Amino acid sequence: MGETTRMYLYFEATAALYTVTVIAVLLCIAGILTTLALWRQGKARSLHRTLNSAAVARSFITDVVFQAQILKISFVRWLMHFCIFIGFMGLLAQTSLMAFISHFSAPESFLAQSFFHGGGSRVLDVWGDVFGLTMLFGLAIAIIRRYVVRTRQLETIAKDTTSLVLLTAIGLSGFICEAFRLMDPQYADVAWYSFAGMTLSQLLQAAGIGAASYTAWVWSHAVISFIFIAFIPFSKAWHIFVSPIEIVLDASERA
Amino acid sequence: MDNENNTTMNGTDDRHESAATAPAAESAPAAQNAAPKLPIEKLSARQLLELDACTRCGECSNWCPAYDQDNREPLTPRGRATQFRDIIRRQYGAFSAESFLGKLLGKKQVSAQELSGFAKDLYACSTCMQCHFVCPVAIDTVELWERIRECIVDTGFGPLPTQQDLVLKTKNYDNPWGQPRSSRARWGKVAKKKKRINEVPKDISKDKADVLYFVGCTASYDTNVEEVGINTVNIFEAAGVDYGILGNKEKCCGSVLLRMGDAASFKRICTENIEQFNALGASTLVTSCAGCLKTIKEDYARHGKLNFEIKHTLEYVIDLIKAGRLKLTQPLNMKVTYHDPCHLGRHAGIFDAPRELLSLIPGIEFVEMERNRENSRCCGAGGGLKSGYPDMQNQISQKRVKDAVQTGATELVSGCPFCYQGLQIGIQAMDAPIKMRDITELVCMAMGLAPATHEDTEDAEE
Repeated sequence: MGETTRMYLYFEATAALYTVTVIAVLLCIAGILTTLALWRQGKARSLHRTLNSAAVARSFITDVVFQAQILKISFVRWLMHFCIFIGFMGLLAQTSLMAFISHFSAPESFLAQSFFHGGGSRVLDVWGDVFGLTMLFGLAIAIIRRYVVRTRQLETIAKDTTSLVLLTAIGLSGFICEAFRLMDPQYADVAWYSFAGMTLSQLLQAAGIGAASYTAWVWSHAVISFIFIAFIPFSKAWHIFVSPIEIVLDASERA
Repeated sequence: MDNENNTTMNGTDDRHESAATAPAAESAPAAQNAAPKLPIEKLSARQLLELDACTRCGECSNWCPAYDQDNREPLTPRGRATQFRDIIRRQYGAFSAESFLGKLLGKKQVSAQELSGFAKDLYACSTCMQCHFVCPVAIDTVELWERIRECIVDTGFGPLPTQQDLVLKTKNYDNPWGQPRSSRARWGKVAKKKKRINEVPKDISKDKADVLYFVGCTASYDTNVEEVGINTVNIFEAAGVDYGILGNKEKCCGSVLLRMGDAASFKRICTENIEQFNALGASTLVTSCAGCLKTIKEDYARHGKLNFEIKHTLEYVIDLIKAGRLKLTQPLNMKVTYHDPCHLGRHAGIFDAPRELLSLIPGIEFVEMERNRENSRCCGAGGGLKSGYPDMQNQISQKRVKDAVQTGATELVSGCPFCYQGLQIGIQAMDAPIKMRDITELVCMAMGLAPATHEDTEDAEE
């Protein structure tokens, strides 16, 4: 099938999906605002020195992006954390790009044509699989450490479990959606760009499972993702955005 | 008004505060009542952010000396941050127990009993700062604990009764040992009488000098560690240092007040000290106490401008050696290990200077303990832990002494009178085959001077 007629995603964004998206994003924003309001009640000085931009930049690269401080402690913990972080950020970037193109750019635009009909969609295929697998690999290590090996230093409260469960569910349901999508013959010639999704697709087909439940899975994936998004400011995932701030501020203060 | 003029027969003065009127964990509001709101405005926005930044990875629990002795989650920095975050989220914001959403979600009010329990665990911390150094997020933990303690003190749930005694004594006598101000400089007079020093150090407030030697409360009052002051004076005399002390006008640096969460009293003593120090016109303040150094160098700087340089004795001694004013010629033939005081190392970043000084002493075989520098194990004496939880401090100290004994060293050296006291407790409890020494003692020996030692002090007392 020609690239111009084939649509990268054939699940149409319905009014219901938009509604759920808006609710989730609003809840997330409300959560962020209530947290910021709480922080603003702290009146003591936050910084005792002028912000050192060089130290901030250096620390952002070494400690936030590459997480060298965790690597110094343990390779396994670094691998786990790095995979979850990079995987999550990669998927967030992919989803954000897709959402931006589908909602804010015209169907005839270069971006929409390229990513939804042209070669750009192959980039999205590989991108989603690589970052999705990376995140799931990190989550697998986290689950093994916390619930199987029961590493001594880990003390589990509901907050820890909730985030792990939601992220794992997002990752797995994403691959299941991808597997069902690739069962459509229109993707036959490009399906292996989604190497992991296609492998799962073939396994499901071999087990006699067809794409009938595709819509239900997409909805499940979307709802779990929206719960995760709405829950971010109240969950452990909040540290993904907050911890880097503390890391670079501390580096600046001690520079 | 001169402090001495205010002093009554028993050493108290008109600023004396009765223990009965002071905040106390034990006299806190009835257990089941709702706890008062914590004054979170005392924290910074960054500190409130830090509570959210904790990833709960638990690395801190692998290193925390208090948790090492008492395996309860609330003692870990992670547990403390989680619990405090939960408390303030139930007291403030859209989801507080009093809000509509909070009631909808069934949030419970923070009870006085809960806050009292939290306070007790909060004070089971030596503020050693190890947790900051191992935290992957680099949370400024000790600053956070101290501000939280301030909130706890304000609501009347801290410090603990035994620590309260320390705070009251510092406020009333300007030293945590409750000794009269008039006997602060007594150590110098006694040392002169016993011929352990040639001259009583001059009073810098009367006779200007280039260097202010800030002796500190522990070395001034505790006869078990007074050799720290005596040896420092002998080194200064031998090197011809133009120095003086404040004598009875010297006040506590206020570290104990700050660590316990009594920020208002700290501010008072800090402001008075800054004014007094600046008026002296000295170019350098030298102190042998790691706690005083950290407080004056780091904490005072946030309250006022200091017109002099601040150095630890061992840094100053290195300067004297490099300037050719001191010569270390006598080989000591000792196997020595060094304990990094938390306030000198992790807090003030002075790790190399003590090792450099030890390397300049001939004949010394220096061995590092397995845990050293940034990861040095705490002696447990700081942060009010020794007064609040003496048994725990004893156990922590023994663990550190065990580290030292394992190196095969015969001498355990440090640069802090408070660590000296703290480690001595461990040595005595274990009857360990190692001798505690302040670094100035080794310097005196290497200079060919007869060093003042702990045994000398005991003999002098007999």
